[in-house]
Amino acid sequence: MSIQLIRQAFNGNRPPQRMWHSHELKEQYDVVIIGGGAHGLACAYYLAKEHGITDVAVLEKSYIGAGGSGRNTAIVRSNYLTPEGVRFYDESVKIYEQLSDELNFNVMFSQRGHLTLAHTDGGVNTMRRRAEVNQIEGVDSRLIFPDEIKNLCPYLDVSDHPRYPILAALYHPPGGIIRHDAVVWGYAHQADVRGVHIHQNTEVTGIKVKRGKVTGVETTRGHIKTGTVLNATAGWASTITSMVGINLPLTTIPLQACVTEPLKPFLDVVVVSGSLHVYISQTDRGELVMGASVDPFSSYSMAGSLTFLEGIAGHVLELFPSLSHVRILRQWAGICEMPPDYSPIMGFTPVDGFLIDVGWGTYGFKASPIAGKTLAELIATGKTPTLIAPFRLSRFEENELVGEKGAAAVGH
Amino acid sequence: MRTEQDALTTTSNRLHPKQGEVIDRSTTIRFTFDGVEYTAHPGDTVASALTAAGVKVLSRSFKYHRPRGLLCCSGHCPNCLVQIGDEPNVRACTRPVEPGMEVRAQNVWPSLNRDLLSLTQLGSRFMPVGFYYKTFIRPQKLWPLYEHTLRHAAGLGEVDIDTPLGEFDKQYLHTDVVIVGGGPAGISAALSAAETGAQVLLFEENPALGGHLRFTVPLESSSTTKASKDLPELLEAVDRQPNITVFTDTSVLGWYQDNWLCAVKGARLFKIRTKSVVVATGAYETPLIFDNNDLPGVMLGSAVQRLVHLFGVLPGGQVVIVTANEDGWDVAADLQSLGVNVAAIVDEREPSACASPYREGLTNAGVPVFYRHTILEALGSNEVRGAKIARLDGQGEISLATAQSLQCDLIVTSMGWTPATELAYMAGGKSEYHEDRAEILPVSTPPGIYVVGRAAGTHAVNSQISEAQRAGSNAAAFVGFGEFDESTAYSSGVLEPRRTSERVCVPGKKKQFVCYCEDVTDEDVETAIAEGYDSIELLKRYSTISMGPCQGAMCSMNTIHLCARANDWTVQETGTTTARPPTTPVTLGALAGQNMEPVQTTPIHQWHLDHGADMMVAGLWLRPNHYGDPAAEATSVRERVGLIDVSPLGKLQLTGPGVPELLERIYTNQWDNLRVGRVRYGVMCNDEGVVLNDGVCAHVNDETWYMTTTSTGATTIFEWLQWWLQSGWGEGIHLTDLTDTYSAFNLAGPQSRTVLEKLTERNLANKAFPYMRLRSAKIAGVSCRLLRIGFTGELSYEVHCPSGYALHVWEALMDAGREFDIAPFGVEAQRILRLEKAHIIVGQDTDAMSDPLSANMAWAVKLDKPDFLGKPSLMRISAEGPKQLLVGFKMVEPNVVPDEGLQIVESEADGQLKIVGWITSSRFSPTLEEAIGLCWLPPDIASQNGASFTIRMDGHLAEARVHHGAFYDPDGERLRM
Repeated sequence: MSIQLIRQAFNGNRPPQRMWHSHELKEQYDVVIIGGGAHGLACAYYLAKEHGITDVAVLEKSYIGAGGSGRNTAIVRSNYLTPEGVRFYDESVKIYEQLSDELNFNVMFSQRGHLTLAHTDGGVNTMRRRAEVNQIEGVDSRLIFPDEIKNLCPYLDVSDHPRYPILAALYHPPGGIIRHDAVVWGYAHQADVRGVHIHQNTEVTGIKVKRGKVTGVETTRGHIKTGTVLNATAGWASTITSMVGINLPLTTIPLQACVTEPLKPFLDVVVVSGSLHVYISQTDRGELVMGASVDPFSSYSMAGSLTFLEGIAGHVLELFPSLSHVRILRQWAGICEMPPDYSPIMGFTPVDGFLIDVGWGTYGFKASPIAGKTLAELIATGKTPTLIAPFRLSRFEENELVGEKGAAAVGH
Repeated sequence: MRTEQDALTTTSNRLHPKQGEVIDRSTTIRFTFDGVEYTAHPGDTVASALTAAGVKVLSRSFKYHRPRGLLCCSGHCPNCLVQIGDEPNVRACTRPVEPGMEVRAQNVWPSLNRDLLSLTQLGSRFMPVGFYYKTFIRPQKLWPLYEHTLRHAAGLGEVDIDTPLGEFDKQYLHTDVVIVGGGPAGISAALSAAETGAQVLLFEENPALGGHLRFTVPLESSSTTKASKDLPELLEAVDRQPNITVFTDTSVLGWYQDNWLCAVKGARLFKIRTKSVVVATGAYETPLIFDNNDLPGVMLGSAVQRLVHLFGVLPGGQVVIVTANEDGWDVAADLQSLGVNVAAIVDEREPSACASPYREGLTNAGVPVFYRHTILEALGSNEVRGAKIARLDGQGEISLATAQSLQCDLIVTSMGWTPATELAYMAGGKSEYHEDRAEILPVSTPPGIYVVGRAAGTHAVNSQISEAQRAGSNAAAFVGFGEFDESTAYSSGVLEPRRTSERVCVPGKKKQFVCYCEDVTDEDVETAIAEGYDSIELLKRYSTISMGPCQGAMCSMNTIHLCARANDWTVQETGTTTARPPTTPVTLGALAGQNMEPVQTTPIHQWHLDHGADMMVAGLWLRPNHYGDPAAEATSVRERVGLIDVSPLGKLQLTGPGVPELLERIYTNQWDNLRVGRVRYGVMCNDEGVVLNDGVCAHVNDETWYMTTTSTGATTIFEWLQWWLQSGWGEGIHLTDLTDTYSAFNLAGPQSRTVLEKLTERNLANKAFPYMRLRSAKIAGVSCRLLRIGFTGELSYEVHCPSGYALHVWEALMDAGREFDIAPFGVEAQRILRLEKAHIIVGQDTDAMSDPLSANMAWAVKLDKPDFLGKPSLMRISAEGPKQLLVGFKMVEPNVVPDEGLQIVESEADGQLKIVGWITSSRFSPTLEEAIGLCWLPPDIASQNGASFTIRMDGHLAEARVHHGAFYDPDGERLRM
């Protein structure tokens, strides 16, 4: 039990420690980060902690974690398809593994394993391909077959009669789920402690550029002078980037999810089926959290659709026929930005001082720590870390796309 | 175990029969609760029957495992969640009892009445809101153990692994007006809308229409009097009105874009397209927050009225009523008239503010009334034994010196209402906080959406009816029936007296619950806000308030008040959280409906099974993988003749003058020069130049073209073409999906011509019908299209025939081939045969990054065409040169077949392996008697025929060599025989 909690227990009327504070908007900041999600806050934290850059403002148009950080299905894994992707996400998993300790805030990273099911022989080949790449890159990941699948997940229907027979699965033991809001709050707190200003309800309305260089940011609360702006937004990344006259190769698409009423624990692993477009896990509170592939149309709508609920219910029952009485409690949507190669766009842009951390499609949350860390290094040193070099914006001109099909919406 | 006798003796809570009750007292049925047998009458809910039997504790709370009993009795709060058989999280207060039902308490250990997990309360000082974020951090390696414990303490009901899938279905409904809610407002709206001629669907979540009039008492002088007397009349009018269809027991779950509604009734899901909507969903009665406000025996006024009037059940004999409005007095009068000892009415208002018609009667009858008083605490350990009340001073503060205890076994709170407006907000309605009413009420709704009755803050029944009549006619007028009545602003409710108290919380020293689902106390809310989780959304996420089974029905208004107070914001500034579907939890079964994923079979399916086929899943289809010996099947094609069912191939017919231009745009090669009767292979790419699909397309006649696609890509390509046609490329073009209409077989092998000649008069000679041509012909009397193409690398004919005759044609071909020892062959043999020819399979040899130039198909890309999908990307790839190439390979050890998906590696100086490519296809070739395959390699290796490279196999390394061209018949002579 933490000292903090014991103190809180016996402190009576003393107010508990504040996680973050409100500040007046200063006229000038060394670094302005747009987007108070896990990425932006992580970057602020690493700037302060590892590079001593504390004159940082994080601007959030709503409350922290209101966007993708609080809307994803909280799956963390590194069993990607490309070596670049595997290395990058594996660094993220390693940070997540010790993040509770580092932030002194339990982010409840639950590494109960991750199964990606294969229902066709083509699917088995793809899983084998991923397993091989993962193993070569040193990531625990292997192809397993129905007997072992049944052991890990007794409620899965592995008989040969379903429409989608389970032929094999990619098993990734270090994969799991995390409390996504806790990641946001933990980073926010530790950034705040180090002097970062977190400005909620502060929307960016314009970015000033003079002679190809960023000079300031316009917000609903006033003007900020700064020479360095990081766009760490999701959903509106292309809108923000267009403020400096750059068009990004992104398609904006809603991604939906839903959650059931709490149930006693019966599902330890995260189960994903690409063919059925579904991923499902059980939280520590007992709810099943489920998601599907991105919506078929691009849109900024966060309303959610009935089609999604019907589809996901059918698909979950294909895998888990005993769940037919389980009730859906709530559905929601988040907004994703898909680059053509399913890989993020990170780093410098043609506008001096304007940096981006965007294009996170359906795989952004799990990369928050490493994205924040590498971008902080980039901001502090002016040099692109090797790990994120493949994700540079100029790759689209250089024909150096990173083919991360393993990150597609159904790859959670 | 208690006996039936015990249970029967406790049925003294049952009142004498009265009008309006829904139970059938002439029979009894039996069920069990935690192994004890109870009786019920048909019509009883599980909760009403248990309450009649004197059972007060129905569940344990989520975090502290405190005993919980009936609170809302309307299917909203979490307090009566039970497990019934294999069904978890059932609301006992709305689920009718069925004979033999096995009801169990959830999440208790060892039992409901002695739940040791309630000991967690002792440590609750160490378990404030969000405690789990601050604990179990170090040592890190113990977290899985902590987590295991936390997980097993959490959760509610259980999933039984043997639960059968069950039967569910769906129904589509189309209408002019949907009315949600069948109370007096909803009924009135339905009647006026229907009178104009509009078609009306009326949805009610309870088993009968009538809303609160079903369980409120018609006494003289009450505002409800007239309406209650009129209820039978209203119901009769509904019955008589042919334009109204009533759905009872049906919950409307959500409003989706363009008035697309969803409702559920048991195992059936309704999907409703309507032109306008009237939301008459009523209101949730708001609980009061005070010490031990969750003790079994603390109930909402409306809950008690439901029990009494619908089920004839009295939940207590001595009652304290805590109120701030006339509704509480209604309950008091109601109970008193039934002979219940009303121990006190505790009204926080001044006597002058009380306008209840029952005031005089109750006072005269000697019922003690405490004005300017409120409740401090519910007394008792497992159930209510008394109530501690105190006086409010001039400033509205509690004067603790005046505290006194009253004996009672039931505390009823009637403190006000939270309008049930979720659907209106989903539809884009806006709301405002009305200080004088202490309610958040709708102020505007999009055109065609109306809110009436308690949902709009209108409580007086007569006002509800007139308001609803107006909304009903306007909803109909919106659809085009009758005239608009312009006077429908959301105002009538606002003119009413306040019914809701702003005092949502009476500060105290013990646990007082804001959120029953998640055991969140007022102290938790304050702590969370002080920690910085100050906005309503952060507060919700951190405290998990309103995220449980009630989804905020019980707690949202109280939370907003507490949040406003702690932040020193107004309620309006504090705002609300977003309303999200479903309004009522809905089962996966109902959402899924019946058989979600049908399997598609070809007309030859049974024949395949009868001939020993091993079937495999291919997209939506089941196809023969092989008939026992795929290598032998392949050999028979190479040496004699074979027949494969390729019916799942996508078959699209395009007609119109613009087809050639469309083909030029969607394929990478040239099409406008393809003459009638000719067939060409083509590749389709997306904008990124990535291969989407491949297949052949034939020019049938002037304006008709016949395209085939891969089996698994058929639907995608149909949609893809539709997308382009509708985006402006479709002028005059008709696209018809013939995938199911036509079946297709490939007759392949050197003897195929001879076999086919037996069945047709068409001249099949090589000169008359050469390679890559299309001909029409009667085969075995059936009009067919013949395509002379060759995926297998042998002389072959693809026979496309109407599916109705498919089996006949198939059997005729098999019969005709018998003398040549024809063999049916499956997908596996086909894969071997095509691999021997180094023909690629899109999706196996290519992935989401593969372009045709790299995939060894540069011959199928014509970059000097004016434009086509993917051209800019392919131009660039062509200029810069591919980064990887798809190429054939042979193994150095000819018997070693590397699995598909294995990686091609190079060893680096530090001993690490570097990935340079991967295997996409591999087989042992029965023709060549060695392992062959296709793989991706860097151009410098791929471009050298015979270059060697290394494959990582099971941890060791195996050597392979690049092979250019087809492995078999590289010049394609056999195709053209």
